[in-house]
Amino acid sequence: MVAVLTRIFGSENLDLAEDVVQDSLIEAIKLWTYKGVPNNPSAWLFKVAKNKVLNIVNREKYKRQYSSDVAHFLQSEWTVESALNHLFSEQEILDDQLRMMFTCCHPSISADSQVALTLKTLCGFSIQEISKAFLTTEQNINKRLVRARKKIREEKIPFEVPNGNDLEKRLQTVLETIYLLFNEGYSASTGENLIRLEICKEAIRLTEIIILHPSFQNKSEVFALLSLMQLNASRFKARQDDKGNILTLDKQNRLQWDYSLMEIGFKNLEKSTGNLISIYHILATISAYHCSATNYSATDWQSILSLYDKLVQIDNSPIVLLNRSIALSKVNGSKKAIEELKTIEENPAIKLNHLFYSTKSEFQIELNQFKEAATTLEKAIYLAPMKSEKILLQEKLLYCREKII
Amino acid sequence: MKDFLLIIKTEGSVWSDLSPEQLQKHMEHGTAYIGNLMKEGKLKNANPVDKGSRIVTESNGLIKDGPFNETKEVVAGYFLVTAKDIDEAVGIAKTNPIFKDIPTKIEVHPMMDIGG
Repeated sequence: MVAVLTRIFGSENLDLAEDVVQDSLIEAIKLWTYKGVPNNPSAWLFKVAKNKVLNIVNREKYKRQYSSDVAHFLQSEWTVESALNHLFSEQEILDDQLRMMFTCCHPSISADSQVALTLKTLCGFSIQEISKAFLTTEQNINKRLVRARKKIREEKIPFEVPNGNDLEKRLQTVLETIYLLFNEGYSASTGENLIRLEICKEAIRLTEIIILHPSFQNKSEVFALLSLMQLNASRFKARQDDKGNILTLDKQNRLQWDYSLMEIGFKNLEKSTGNLISIYHILATISAYHCSATNYSATDWQSILSLYDKLVQIDNSPIVLLNRSIALSKVNGSKKAIEELKTIEENPAIKLNHLFYSTKSEFQIELNQFKEAATTLEKAIYLAPMKSEKILLQEKLLYCREKII
Repeated sequence: MKDFLLIIKTEGSVWSDLSPEQLQKHMEHGTAYIGNLMKEGKLKNANPVDKGSRIVTESNGLIKDGPFNETKEVVAGYFLVTAKDIDEAVGIAKTNPIFKDIPTKIEVHPMMDIGG
């Protein structure tokens, strides 16, 4: 709804659009508590919002400047009705959401603000929910939002889907933000699990809007990203036990995987074939190999390793190399993998990443080097940001200590 | 593409001459017509004329204003449309559903391009 209203008011009046949505919701809640929720709550909300828009546009006819191309239609008796019907039609709402994506993911807005703004305006999350999901304070999220809106106003970032050569480049940024969004939802797992699952679903929904829209010619990368997210999301529920502790891939109950979502993910991976192989293609294929294994020991590590080799050619960041080392250990043994890890050991980002130490300790346990593994695990526990991760690591540490004695 | 000004002139007014039911129908048809033009991206603007028009004239060096004295014919409003040529603009004018409801004339004026 914020997207539609921004179309009407122009991106410089994004805060006004958010206010109208807020007001409509408050009005709805007030009325619904007395009269009960109507049969079609979303249509009702849109109606309230429509009226508010009309009031504002007419009241502030001469006060406010609207950069949008449609505001003047709302100021004429003849066109107002048609304009509102048109603007609130399903296709237009989809188009507006797409425009909003490109506005939120404009390259001049910082990546963390892009994610926060997308969640707020496109996915309708509250500041409180966003701050919970990102493990940061509400003030912090608020600051990011304020900065982003200011940027949109000052840089006059238009509310539109770019065309021509710009489109491909800008689509990249949008996809990156969506992937970041998904990862924020997917990666950690304490606390607000529900919100996190919602974030993952929203990332998938936004990608589907892009897929369905006729503006884009080459969608192979979009399909790859969609497939990647669907394949990963299908395992979402199996990643935790009843107490909220993390379950690694080898301990997950594969019956809890969402096989219908997985099926869709596989189909989209098929549709993603194109001239270009992107990071999303490779990651989705890796995920597909994990999904298609009936149990952990049946995982085709050889194929996964060769995919990581391809990925390293595009992106040889330490995180990719770290993940590759896991596949390497399964194919060529943990000794080889530990040697590989030495190449990234000194990287400053890796030095502070608990995943590096927890991975390394796995290899050491595999090689029966329990004393070394214990030392590595202590570092991992110290660095792990999540309580559930710390618990998992502590269990492993206990196991190692028992072995030492 | 070129812009065209469509001036709608009617005999009488839909507000006073139509029954409430007819007026309701009239509005529905109008909304659908305008909605279509909008969807096709052909409508730039459209506005009805309110009561109280006046006319400013000059005679013998004196500029005067007075009520707009068109007893029979009134300007009901205007459309600003974008069309490929005058024929398309005329086509747009011809499909205006107002013809079915009240005696109407629509003038179609091509707008001059800058530098034209």
